[in-house]
Amino acid sequence: MQLKSNPAKLVPPAILSAGSIALALSINYASSILAFIGLGLVFWGGLLFYIRPERYVKEALLDKMALPPLVSLNEIMTGLGYKSKGIHLPPKYFTNFESAKVYFSAENNAKLPSPEEMQKNENRVFLKNPDGILITSPGFELTELFEKNLGTNLTKVDLQYLEKNMPKLLIDLEIAQKVEMHSTDSRVNVKIEGSITKGICKEIGRLSSICGSLGCPLCSSIALALAKATGKPIIIEKGLASEDGQILEIEYRLLEEPPEKTR
Amino acid sequence: MSFPLEFSDLDLWLAGTAIILFLTSEMLSPLYGRSNIHINNKRLRNAAKAVLILFLASVVIRIISTVIAG
Repeated sequence: MQLKSNPAKLVPPAILSAGSIALALSINYASSILAFIGLGLVFWGGLLFYIRPERYVKEALLDKMALPPLVSLNEIMTGLGYKSKGIHLPPKYFTNFESAKVYFSAENNAKLPSPEEMQKNENRVFLKNPDGILITSPGFELTELFEKNLGTNLTKVDLQYLEKNMPKLLIDLEIAQKVEMHSTDSRVNVKIEGSITKGICKEIGRLSSICGSLGCPLCSSIALALAKATGKPIIIEKGLASEDGQILEIEYRLLEEPPEKTR
Repeated sequence: MSFPLEFSDLDLWLAGTAIILFLTSEMLSPLYGRSNIHINNKRLRNAAKAVLILFLASVVIRIISTVIAG
């Protein structure tokens, strides 16, 4: 089977060659018009090489690839009987500050272990006393991408910085078309329109342990960013997607932490 | 046989190109609605900035040469 060649790839070298010929002729015939044409063609040919698009993945393919791991995770958690909300933990809960994990308690409304207790068991998945599980957030890599694009570590910024920069970042990364972020007391509301995860959101709305608890990779990445910036554990309180998945409204809650142990 | 364009011609060409590139990069910005033209917008903006700097440099050279000549 022969792969189809992309004719768009032939455009920059063709323009570049035509420009070079025009420049050579302009010198030969001392023609300023030919020189302008040649200069323009060489410049745009080179520019088209330089601004060549990054490789894009079709949205349908993205949905098909991202969904199965989330479905499996939902099955595991439902099978184990975990119904509590996932708590996105800030880095101080781990000795390795790069960790980005979500804690699920076995019982609803159970107390969150202290950072010291969590640090002792941070490499385990199943925790005892209190019972719970600790899993890596599905938005972990996305949060790292946010940090790379913002050029800062999110632990060094505050909530105001995130409110100001996160919407612009999500639009710049072409993750969403419109993003609004507002915080009030211990809650942060995010409204996302035209998100690339709309297909995933639509599907995982049916997965009880994922939607509104652990969150899709995008919701989870924002929760992680909030946890890093505020230094507080974050819960996805509500996650509402419109019928067509175009509009996504998420409410995050900043948890008050357990009092530190006196030594 | 010599290159038929003078410094002033290149100056004008750089100015025109910088304007076109900036307008293009601004029109393709995702801030004005997602564009379906899949090009590396960041690189286009960088190219526009580079051309603008070249143009400004040529203006500075022209000013200096005028001052020296005067």
